[in-house]
Parts: sequence; C-alpha cells; structure tokens
Amino acid sequence: MDQTKTKGYKKIKQWLKANRRKPFQFQEDAWQYYLNGYSGLVNAPTGFGKTFSLFLAVVIEALNDPSVNPKQRKDRLQLIWITPLRSLAKDIARAMRETLLELELDWHVGVRNGDTSQAEKLQQKKSMPEILLITPESLHLLLAQKGSSTLFKNLKCIVADEWHELLGSKRGVLVELAVSRIKGLQKLEKQQFLRVWGISATIGNIEEALDVLEPDETAKRIIVKADLEKKIIIKSILPDDIETLPWAGHLGLKLAYKLLPIINKSKTTLIFINTRGQSEMWYQHLLNLEPELAGRIAIHHGSIDFELRNWIEDALHTGQLKAVIATSSLDLGVDFKPVDTVVQVGSPKGVARFLQRAGRSGHAPHETSKIYFLPTHALELVEAAAIKEAAKNNNIESREPFIMVFDTLVQYLVTLAIGDGFDDQVIYEEIKNTHAFKLILPEEWNWVMQFITSGGDSLSAYNEFKKVTKDDDGLWKVKSRMLAMRHRLHIGTIVSDAMLKVKFLSGGYIGMVEEYFVTRLKAGDNFRLAGRVLEFIHVKDMTVIVRNSKQKNAISPSWNGGRLPLSSNLGVVLRKKYNEALDKNHEDEELDVVYPLFLLQEKRSHVPRNDELLIELINNKEGFHLFAYPFEGRLVHEVLAALVAYRLSKLLPISFSIAMNDYGFELLSETEIPMDESIAYEVFSPKNLTEDITLSINSTEMARRKFRDIACISGLVFQGYPGKYVANRHLQSSAGLFFNVFSDYDKHNLLLRQAYDEVFYQQLEEPRLAAALQRIQEGNIIITTPKSFTPLSFPIKVDSLRENMSSEELEQRILRMKAESEKIK
Amino acid sequence: MTITSQGEELILDKERALFLPKHQLLAISDLHLGKSAHFRQAGLQVPSTIAKSDLQRLSLLIEKYQPKTLLINGDMFHHGLNTDIDDFSIWKQQYTDLNFLLVKGNHDQLSANNYKDLGIEIHEPSFCLSPFCFIHDAPKHTNEELYPISGHIHPGVSIVGKAKQRLKFPCFYFGKDHAILPAFSLFTGLYNIQPKTNERIFAITPEKVIEV
Repeated sequence: MDQTKTKGYKKIKQWLKANRRKPFQFQEDAWQYYLNGYSGLVNAPTGFGKTFSLFLAVVIEALNDPSVNPKQRKDRLQLIWITPLRSLAKDIARAMRETLLELELDWHVGVRNGDTSQAEKLQQKKSMPEILLITPESLHLLLAQKGSSTLFKNLKCIVADEWHELLGSKRGVLVELAVSRIKGLQKLEKQQFLRVWGISATIGNIEEALDVLEPDETAKRIIVKADLEKKIIIKSILPDDIETLPWAGHLGLKLAYKLLPIINKSKTTLIFINTRGQSEMWYQHLLNLEPELAGRIAIHHGSIDFELRNWIEDALHTGQLKAVIATSSLDLGVDFKPVDTVVQVGSPKGVARFLQRAGRSGHAPHETSKIYFLPTHALELVEAAAIKEAAKNNNIESREPFIMVFDTLVQYLVTLAIGDGFDDQVIYEEIKNTHAFKLILPEEWNWVMQFITSGGDSLSAYNEFKKVTKDDDGLWKVKSRMLAMRHRLHIGTIVSDAMLKVKFLSGGYIGMVEEYFVTRLKAGDNFRLAGRVLEFIHVKDMTVIVRNSKQKNAISPSWNGGRLPLSSNLGVVLRKKYNEALDKNHEDEELDVVYPLFLLQEKRSHVPRNDELLIELINNKEGFHLFAYPFEGRLVHEVLAALVAYRLSKLLPISFSIAMNDYGFELLSETEIPMDESIAYEVFSPKNLTEDITLSINSTEMARRKFRDIACISGLVFQGYPGKYVANRHLQSSAGLFFNVFSDYDKHNLLLRQAYDEVFYQQLEEPRLAAALQRIQEGNIIITTPKSFTPLSFPIKVDSLRENMSSEELEQRILRMKAESEKIK
Repeated sequence: MTITSQGEELILDKERALFLPKHQLLAISDLHLGKSAHFRQAGLQVPSTIAKSDLQRLSLLIEKYQPKTLLINGDMFHHGLNTDIDDFSIWKQQYTDLNFLLVKGNHDQLSANNYKDLGIEIHEPSFCLSPFCFIHDAPKHTNEELYPISGHIHPGVSIVGKAKQRLKFPCFYFGKDHAILPAFSLFTGLYNIQPKTNERIFAITPEKVIEV
C-alpha cells in the first residue's frame, strides 16, 4: 500500500505543515515499511525525531482504520514502548500526548515503571491505555500479573527505544523473552499483525541488533538508516603544565577551575561524571570555587529521590539551571533544549558512549553538539586523543548480546508461573526462537524446569521443595503468595546492594544509600547526598533519618557500580597514539602536553611501540612487581594476568596478588618473579590457551564474582529492593556460599556453569586474547628494570581491586605470611 | 592440634570440633540442621547433600574420638522440623551409647517434646564442666570463675601478608575471657574477628589446624 494515498498520512502531513515542519526521509521510509508489515530497526543520530518515525507510523495506521476500540475494553493496548530509563518515559509521554491531542486521536498514553503510583497501576489493570511506556523490568512485572495474558490481543507494535543500550546487557534478554511471550499469546488468538521495531544509535553490529530483536528470518525485516550526519566538536581541557595532573586518580578536581568560564559562556552545561560518589564531590567543589553558582547548579544521579530528579529535569527544560552534574542517569535521549554544552570528566572508555553524551547538547536537527573532555590523570590525555580519532573515523564499538543466561531464564519462568501460569512445551518452543536461547539443548531445558519445580536434578527429588507446581489446568504455577511476593520484588537483572531511603527528620525524601554504607555511620556523622551535607541521626523502619548539617566537609557515600572497561576499538587507537607521541608525528595537542611524561617514561623504562610488549620489573619494600602493558582493556587484562600468573606459578611455587587497568596489569609477589626473554615468550604464548585459561580461571575469584549477580537474578539470594526491605534472617545467605555449595555438591548446576561461561565468553573474548598473544609473539618483548615506579606502572599499582593466584602449599604460605607480618611488627 | 587452656588439654580438630580427652567429650557448635531443607521449603534450591555431608563428617569424628558425650553448643536446629531432621533422626539411631547434649541457642526453637523424641538432653543457658562453661552466645560480663566457650558468631580470620596477599579461614578463638568455636555446618558464612594481643587464633585449613 502506498502510504501517500492514505487518510492517516495526509492528516499527518497537514499537521506537520501547519507547524511548519516536514518529515525527514527516514521517517517517511519507516512509516511506509511499518504500514507494509515490516519489523525493523531505525538508526538515526539524536535530535532528528527517531521517536516520531515509529510513533507516527502506528498513529497513521490507526487514522487509516476508523474502527474505534470502546474505552471500556481491557485489551485496547496498541503500542508498547520499551525505554531503558525511567526519566525518558515522562518526556516521551508528554510529546506523544501533545501530538495525539492536536491530531484529535482519542488515545491514552500510560507510563509504567518503578516510579508509577499504585493507584495508577490499578487503574491500568482495569483498563490499559492504547500506548504504554514501560521499562523491561516493569514489562516482566506485567507478565507476572494474573490475567495479563489477555492484555495483548490487539497490540500492533512493540518498540524497543535505545535498543543499543539494552542489547549488551541481560536487560536485552528480558526484552527478547517478553517479546517472545507476547508473540506467542497473539498466535494463540490467531492474530498476526504484531511488528517489533527497535531504535538504535550507530553501533558496530547493527544487523545483529536487528536479529536479536526480531530473530524470525521469515518475517519481513528492514533497517531504516537516516542519511544525516550530526556535527560534533570535541575539545580537551588541557592543563597549563603536565605537572598539574596526577599520575593516577579518577576525580580530576585539579582542572575544575577551567570549567567555570565554559559554564559561564554556555546557556546550560551538562557535566558527566563516571560515578555517583564522585559527582557529589564535584558538586561541592564547583560551589566552593564559585559560590555564585548556588541555586543555579544541580546534581542528578540514580540514587537521588524521584521527586527531586523530576524537579531537576523540569528545570533543565525551562533553562533555569546553568549546569547539572550527572552520571549515566542522563545519558540517553532526553531532549533538553537549553543544553548547548557537555563536559565529560574522566575517560568514557568507549567511543559510542562519548558520542551519545556529546549528543545531549545541540539536540535539535542540524545543530552542532559540543563536548569538552576533562582528564582526571595525565595519561588520560592520550585516551582523549584516541577517542577523537576514533570518533572522527566513526570507529564505533559493537554491543555483544547475551546468550544462554540461565539465571534470566529461571527468573522469567517463575515470573510466568506467578502470572497466569505456563505450558512448558509452548514456552520451550517460544524461547528456542529467541536469539538468546536458540542454542538451548533439551537436557538444559529439562534441568531448568527441574530446578524450579523439584529444586534440583531428578536424582534428588525433594518433597519439601515447593516453588513451581503443576495446576489442575495443566499449567505450571506458583501457589505460595509469599513466594510470589518475594519474586515480584526482585524481578530484573540489575543487581545492586540493599538500599535504604534517606529522609529528613522533618519529612521529605532525599534519595538512597547502600545499607553497607549506613552500617559504618555513627549518630552525628556527616555525609553528602544530592549535593547537601546531611547529619546522620538514626535508622528507623529501614529508613535513614537525617537533618541538614552546617558542616562543610563530609564523606561521600560509595555506591557500588561496575567500572567500565576500555573497548577494544579504543585499545587499538590508543596503541597507535603511544607510537606517535614520542615521535612527535601527530597533530594532537593532547599529546604535546603529555610529551614530558613520555620522556620520563622513556628515561626510567621505555615507551612501548605498536609491535612491542613492555614488561617492567620493579623491586621495592612492597615486594617484587611485574608490570606488562598489552593495552587490551581491563577485562582482557584480568584474564591475561591470571593466565600469566598461572603459567609462572607452574615454574615454581609462588603466590601473586594481581591488579589491572585498561593499559596493563601487575603481578605482585613477595618472592622474586622468574622472568627473562625466553620465559616471557613462553608465558605470553597462544599455545594450550583454552586449557590454561580454564585452569587459571578455576584458581582465581573471577567466576565466583560473576556468580554474585547470577545468584541474585535467579532468586537464590534475596537482596531486598530499594526502600522495600524485607527482613528474613532465616533465609539469609550469600552468593559465595551458594557458589561453594554448588561447586562441592552440585557440579552440573547450569547456573554455576554460566558463571564460568560468562568469564569465558563475555569477559574474555577468546579470539581477542589469542590475537593479542599472537601479536606479542610476532613482536618484540622489552624487559626493563626501573628503579622506581614509572608513569605507566603507577596507576596500576594504586588500584585496589585485586585478585589472587597461588601455587604454594597453603600451610607453607600461612607460615610465611605469619613470619612476614611478625617482621613488620 | 593439641593445646592447653585453663590447665586442661584440648584437641582442636580441623573438622571444626573440639575434644576434651579428660571428659571424653566432643563439642561442636552451630550445626544448623535443617537449614538446607528450610531453604528448599522457601523455594531456594539447596542440595540436600550438604546436610548429609555434615552428618558424615560428624560420624567420622565420633569414630575417631569415640566420645561418651557429644555436646552441641547451640544452633543445632536451624528452624523447624523438616526432612533434614528426619534424616538426622535415622542417622542418630546408630549411636545408642552416645549422650547428646544441646546447649540451647537462638535458633533452637523446637518444643521440649521434639527434643525428647529425638533423644537430646537440653541445657539452658549453659552446660558447665569445670574449668569450662559451654554457652551459645558469649556473655558480655561473667562473674563466674569458669571459662566460657561459646559459638554463635561463626568466627573467621583473615591473614594479611606482604605483597597485598590475603587469606580467610574459619577459626577457633581463645581469648583472655572466653573462647569461640567455629560453626560446624559447611552451609554457614564467616564473621571476621580481629585478634588482639594475648589472644590465640587457630585457623582451620583443608589440611590441618594452624595457630596464627
């Protein structure tokens, strides 16, 4: 059908014309494909109306078909719009409502997520709106509701907004599973018109992104790419003198004063900081530097109360704020018109993230985005140069989708079981058609079913185990209300520590802090949250009660969050920049500034070239250090360090503590580390790689750490829910304990295997590691013995996250450690 | 490992048990029987082999020391009656000559009849055997002349070495005022204790008990 002849299209064109607007070509394309029954992916830069490319497609179709759904009907849902962030939903809903009003289409737009009130949810249960904006977690909560399977009968379209953001996480799997269920329900009703669309920024694997969202190869699928380019200006904030910048660190306050003129001459500036704790410190520091900014700057992150965040977002829209300090909580697509400048503090670790953040400024079509990079330590300037080059060449990372995540599958099946129940044959067929589980074997499926129905493998059926049972109607269900409630509280795949709400004695919520942080506070202690200094009074009913403090100085809570690893794309460019820096054959001002540091590195040790691996051996009172610099990113270094440590430990009994960053890794031992050129080539060899990696993973904590999330997602460990803490001491346990128990007594447990697989496939990227080792074999290995730490080694040395690896006998090791500690005394 | 405390000889076993040769008494603490079944009842998948293996370890200890008395220093039962406890009841039948004593702990909430049926002698709040007094949770102040031996906290110790090395083990603690036994059950966590001077800590490694 040619859309230009349709009623709906004409009406849209008229309406746009009345507003002096014209659709972009990619929008018209998307409308046409949608009308022709395609599923697909829209790929366009920010600010060009991606939302309208799909929302209006659904509207056009509705305008074409005047058969109106009676408002009383439960199943009038037409469009499900999945957003990764709660803050996005509000703005998109507002834009949609305005449009619908002007087009005189009597549709309701509902929002459903963690911030939605109970009353509104009840209202939705009685009668769903035509358009529902929802997070992946809330969509699963919807499936966990009784009677939910009748809601999707007339659904026309599911849109996964910011799909690139969901794709590389287990939240993407949540979307895949929910889509597979809704498709299955429609099939039961003999309905065939559901289309699944994604909206994605540019990523390296855009075709795969579509495959994951719509895996059905027989479906009509298309990628609609906008032929538009967003102009981006990238500028580094340079120190006047390299000595100003520390050799290591993540805070970067030293250069804060250079931000003030930028803030002053911009309309509104967004300042992105990598962690919540640091953003609190930055807020305070900027106010100390420029007291006049009081009341005109704000701080926004995920642990700040919903009302407060709302206020900040509104103030951003209206341009009342001069600057907002934000974490990834403001990363995605919200369109704040007054924002014309973005500052990134510290390395964003990836090109895609950097460009995304840049896109927060100059949001309107054809405006230029402007982003400043503020380095937190000296070597980050090299990263800045590398990011600029990668951005120029559009060298953008892929997002690897998760597969075979049994923890998420276990959670999903229990979710269905507390809703309307499920038929295992039907669901097996459905999940086999998802990208995440297309490789699942019948015996693996059986194991998962046994795990939730009998509590283990069939050899040990436990009479007392009651979770999912078969009902009279032949469907698998959860009968216990208590179990259902507990499960509902932890639906989702983002694992965080138990959080407590923070409230003023006089009333009013400020935000949330981790329970662990609170246990260290005494009455009268001060801490910072949401840019205020608060005095801790006490904890009451699982709420932290505070009052405003007059103190200036206070500690910042640390929220646990993953550290971002350097992407492999950036690693390659970074190695090249190291080459160029010393040769001075470059055009990067950053490299000029950092040049004295390279001279120092060259003087004390060596600056590694593209085809070289540098190993530094440093001996001091801490012990014997070995540093190596493959520039492959933190995650790969973690595995590589364990591998090298394992191979060295085969030569003689030795114990290591291991640290790493994005440039290299450190092995630290209290006895001398055997190392010369021939040993180096041997321990960095690609031979027996798979076998040695398996053995080295077994002897470190990596799989155990992965298991922490798996235990929470699969429901083995219950961590509570922000503000809804459920105490049940009899059932408290830790993921570590489960890891031990399964390792000792249930080796075939698939969740245990998943922990190892996640290290192996997600973290390790074996081909990348093999390629790196091959590169090292073919190049030169340079071993130096500096007298003191070098600019390269220092940042690794001060890193506190450490692994252990030992081939010594335990008793020997304890005796030696004891002897050492007595010597120290 | 054999040590002397309050002038008496004590054997610390790496299977997390204490033996008093003079009284032919084997003491363990925090057995948490029924914990795995209690978890299963609540829909958490814990293999029952873990409870069986706790009992197997206890059998080996009984065989090794041939005690007259087995003293459980509190938290013998995790919660209520369940299949783990049925297994225990059957297991116990092979030890007709052995005296089972329980010093009640915070988890031990079964009714008096249940203990009677299982053939377990109850002591509350403590069981004293000069110069020692077994009590589940160590009293803050003790006026008694007897040396309390407690359990409850599941003590563990971290050993920190040069070159940022760190190891963690369950342990026995012998302080100036009281001693603490490790938790017997393997399905328990560890609470780190910080030894002060003149306190003795015995770490339990898979091979043996080592003073640290």
